[in-house]
Amino acid sequence: MSSRGGKQKKGNVTSEQEEEEQPLQAVLVADSFNRRFFPISKDQPRALLPLGNVAMIDYTLEFLTSTGVQETFVFCCWMSNKIKDHLLKSKWCRPTSPNVVHIITSDLYRSLGDVLRDVDAKNLVRNDFILVYGDVVSNIDVSQALQEHRHRRKVDKNISVMTMVFKESSPGHKSRCEEDDVIVAMDSKSKRVLHYQKTQGLKKLQFPMNIFQHGSDEFEIRHDLLDCHISICSPQVAELFTDNFDYQTRNDFVRGILVNEEILGNQIHLYVTQDGYGARVSNLQMYDSVSSDMVRRWVYPLTPEANFTDQQGQGCTHSRHNVYRGAEVSLGHGSQMEENVLIGRDTSIGANCHISNSVIGNNCTIGDNVVLDRAHMWNNVHISSNVEIHQSVVCDGAVVKEAVHLNKQCVLAYNVVIGPNLSLPDGTVVSMHHPEEEEEDDDDEFLSDDQEVGHSKDKTRQKAFNPAEVGPEGKGYIWKASMNDTEDEELAQCLWGLVLNPDPESDSESEASEESQDRSRSVSPEIDDVNAFQLEVLGTLQRGLEENIVCDNLVLEINSLKYAYNITLKEVMQILTRVVLEYPFQQQGTQLTTLQYTGSLLPLLKTWSPVFKNYIKRAQDHLDCLSAVEELFLEQDTHQTAMVKVLMKMYQLEILEEEAILKWFSTGATNDKSRQLRKNQGLQKFIQWLKEAEDESSEEGE
Amino acid sequence: MELQAVLMAAGGGSRMMDLTYNTRKPLLPVGNKPLIWYPLNLLERVGFEEVIVITTKEVQKMISTDPKMKLDVKMKLDIVCIQEDADMGTADALRHIQQKIKTDILVVSCDLITDAALHEVVDLFRAHNATLSMLMSKAHEFTETVPGQKGKKKTGEQRDFVGVDGTGKRLLFMANEADLDKGLVIRKSIMRKLPRMHIKTGLVDAHLYCLKKSVVDFLADNKSVSSIRGELVPYLVRKQFSKSMTSPNVNDEADQKLKKKDGNANLEIQILSRDEVLLQLTRERSCWNDHRGDMSEAYHGVRLRCYVHIMDEGMCYRVNTLAAYIEANRLAPKLFDEPAVHPSAAISVRCLIGADSIIGASCQISDKASIKRSMIGASTTVREKVKVTNSIIMHGVTIEEGCNIQGSVICSNTVIGRGADIKYCLVGSAQRIEPEGEHTTLSECDWT
Repeated sequence: MSSRGGKQKKGNVTSEQEEEEQPLQAVLVADSFNRRFFPISKDQPRALLPLGNVAMIDYTLEFLTSTGVQETFVFCCWMSNKIKDHLLKSKWCRPTSPNVVHIITSDLYRSLGDVLRDVDAKNLVRNDFILVYGDVVSNIDVSQALQEHRHRRKVDKNISVMTMVFKESSPGHKSRCEEDDVIVAMDSKSKRVLHYQKTQGLKKLQFPMNIFQHGSDEFEIRHDLLDCHISICSPQVAELFTDNFDYQTRNDFVRGILVNEEILGNQIHLYVTQDGYGARVSNLQMYDSVSSDMVRRWVYPLTPEANFTDQQGQGCTHSRHNVYRGAEVSLGHGSQMEENVLIGRDTSIGANCHISNSVIGNNCTIGDNVVLDRAHMWNNVHISSNVEIHQSVVCDGAVVKEAVHLNKQCVLAYNVVIGPNLSLPDGTVVSMHHPEEEEEDDDDEFLSDDQEVGHSKDKTRQKAFNPAEVGPEGKGYIWKASMNDTEDEELAQCLWGLVLNPDPESDSESEASEESQDRSRSVSPEIDDVNAFQLEVLGTLQRGLEENIVCDNLVLEINSLKYAYNITLKEVMQILTRVVLEYPFQQQGTQLTTLQYTGSLLPLLKTWSPVFKNYIKRAQDHLDCLSAVEELFLEQDTHQTAMVKVLMKMYQLEILEEEAILKWFSTGATNDKSRQLRKNQGLQKFIQWLKEAEDESSEEGE
Repeated sequence: MELQAVLMAAGGGSRMMDLTYNTRKPLLPVGNKPLIWYPLNLLERVGFEEVIVITTKEVQKMISTDPKMKLDVKMKLDIVCIQEDADMGTADALRHIQQKIKTDILVVSCDLITDAALHEVVDLFRAHNATLSMLMSKAHEFTETVPGQKGKKKTGEQRDFVGVDGTGKRLLFMANEADLDKGLVIRKSIMRKLPRMHIKTGLVDAHLYCLKKSVVDFLADNKSVSSIRGELVPYLVRKQFSKSMTSPNVNDEADQKLKKKDGNANLEIQILSRDEVLLQLTRERSCWNDHRGDMSEAYHGVRLRCYVHIMDEGMCYRVNTLAAYIEANRLAPKLFDEPAVHPSAAISVRCLIGADSIIGASCQISDKASIKRSMIGASTTVREKVKVTNSIIMHGVTIEEGCNIQGSVICSNTVIGRGADIKYCLVGSAQRIEPEGEHTTLSECDWT
């Protein structure tokens, strides 16, 4: 690496004491580099959003300070001025602060990678440092992890570059965020990370074999870990980001290190804590759960009444059932604060209200007969009487008029006015910014937008508010979840994150299919191959229909399957025939009437006739195909009348030749059933017709 | 009778043909006892009174006639012979004796030498009402030099991957490296239920299994499974997480549907550990749970469960290779406390016999012979000035004067000529080694 690395090493050798004395540094990235919190974060950067009435960045800084960090570099990009102002006013910038905070702003950062490259360029870190985001809430004591990290680096000569901090929590725990779910394969003894993967959307987890070839004989695969997004990095991390300019996120970095382990020789380790709390507020779902964990005192000693930001008037009292009240809170007659409620200073609540599991900010007014459950209200919110709010976020300055009903997962962004007499459906997002305005400045979305807001204001005014959406006196625009481009489709998931427990059915389906494979696998292999082949052919045809694949390509696929499963040509024909004829049952269930059956089958035959023609060439092929048809209709005896139509169609499509059909009819009958089948009136007529046609043609020939 | 013991002693020992060419594997002498004695002794120690022994005619005949092969066990042996050339797997053998199986079974292989606490395995079986519980042990490095094999043992063997849950008891995954060319694949739904999986390599399967009776019934109906280790166990392990095993309601319907569909498929349903009604009720009503972290019922409703007991210490050998055979011979004497020298052996006063050697019945050891760390089989004659170190001499061998035998295995009825020098050799049975010869690192066998 660079020459600096060498110097570092020398420093280590010469005096360990010196290393000990060097202050612990941290890099705090006060930008998420994504738009998960849009449109809220259009007015306020994510790091400053209040959680339990305290800006999130304060939690992060408090966490860093309490673990002994003495120097923190805060990197801001989006709305850096606001963050700077906030920090300058906070206790962190007082001369007594044990943690010296340096604020570094630049509009050019577009990812974590840029920040770390800048760290490297400016040569800011001299030793191991802690890397966190500005939205991490944690009380984990990382000194143990730090010690392990240093020890490893001493023993292994700078091989371990990063120690990731994880918290143990079972899958399905509410502080786990589905989109952040990871699976980690590690070496049990050395705690080395061998494989790291996000599991979102995966059904099967695959681990390459080379990760198990490191001499150890015990590995662990863990899905019970919550990534706290706290990492202890050696200075090399910044250098590595510089060397690999394609690394954008920590994820890229971890993957890159793990994949190139052989080449670069760098390793990543992990540290698992059992009792600490650590989570990153990466979407509103997480915001909701972290906020409620905070109120329930899981993040002790970071509790609302502790007033750790040391600001005037922020203090509140804690009484039982986790009810916190700020100064000058007035509560009307008959109002109840059930449990887990935090109310900021100077807030007044009317009569007969019912509040549970909610956080209410400073200077709010709440009318009479209001029901709040899992509501997150920020500062200066006005709620009129007879309002009901469930699991929603109401941002600063929003006004909710009479008799408004907010269903689950609604978001009212800054200064929105809603109502009166309105019910917002689940997941409604209302903002003063017009969604289209958003599209317009998509190009420079990552740039600081102080000017932007200014110049787009005029346009905003031109567009009228829709009273049907936000109520007669409402102000604001609905942000639709599903808009044409993908960016906005993301938004739907973004704000509230993904549902924690996706439909278990989807799982079991795959299990079922797997099981069918299992079964066929365990029974004799011969049957297995044929069955599997049949399934594959069915799949191929299905896909062919859905994606409009050309028949030639289907033939190619079937041919390759034929070789893969070692199937004879005869079997291919039989299976193909069977699959096609059973296709309507497959798709629409077995309860079809004969009419429906033929109705859906005949067009299919037409579509796939080139496939048939490819396989049915010799006379014997025709007979094989016919016998497959016969076999199927002997099984489906209720649909025997359809057989004529099928044969007719196949004849018309020139899949089958009349001679073959006649030959089959006259000789094919081997048992009672098939003889019975041939007595079918329709079939008789069809054969008769064929014979006549043949006679005619032969006569013509004469 | 809670468990019926079944001893599988029909294997040919195909991985050590040199040794088993003349002596069947169950009868190979280990510490002057036939190999089969060790698992029998293991079963006897834990209190079994009856064992079903599956073996071949030849072995049965030898056991009943040859005094050297006498098994001194008090248990009742119910010997079932199977045809040697029928190429029956262990599962086939179980199917063969299905009529005799009345309860759950404990299957042991005849080549297992262990001091494991069997109750650990059985307790797992009982405590979790498991369908399968088995024994594994950390693999041992073989330290002795193996005759006929130059250098250390071959590396790069295919490893077995065994996945167990956080407690290290529940068996979740089992595969050989050879089958994992696409990497190790685990369904996410399994990880969600059992979020912490330990993957272990370097374990030896002791081939000791507790199986539910229903599994034997399943085998009887499902003829395609022929080996317990190769097919049945992986199948059961995999089945733990398939759908029909987890959802009891769907099950009955599926059962009927499958019955209609084809005769074969419904068989796997029978393999379910059908929990008794009372047991089921107990579990529902009690607050006991086998896992933490989510609110779902114990075992996540999985009714087919596989467990494994992994021995951390103690000895556990499967005598299925030459190296293991030599190692077992070195360690086996520690397993039983009998006099190292058989009373009927005629031993000259002026010979040197190390404390770690075993001398079989009616041996003759002449003057100035020196025997160290070796086993001498019954009716063997060792003449004057013979030095035997680190070797295994089977029954009826004659070693003429002045021979030097080191690190070798000499099979039965061989005559070693005067003054021969044999180092790290494997000598087949009924051979004649020429006098004064010098041999190093070779295998001599009578292949004709």
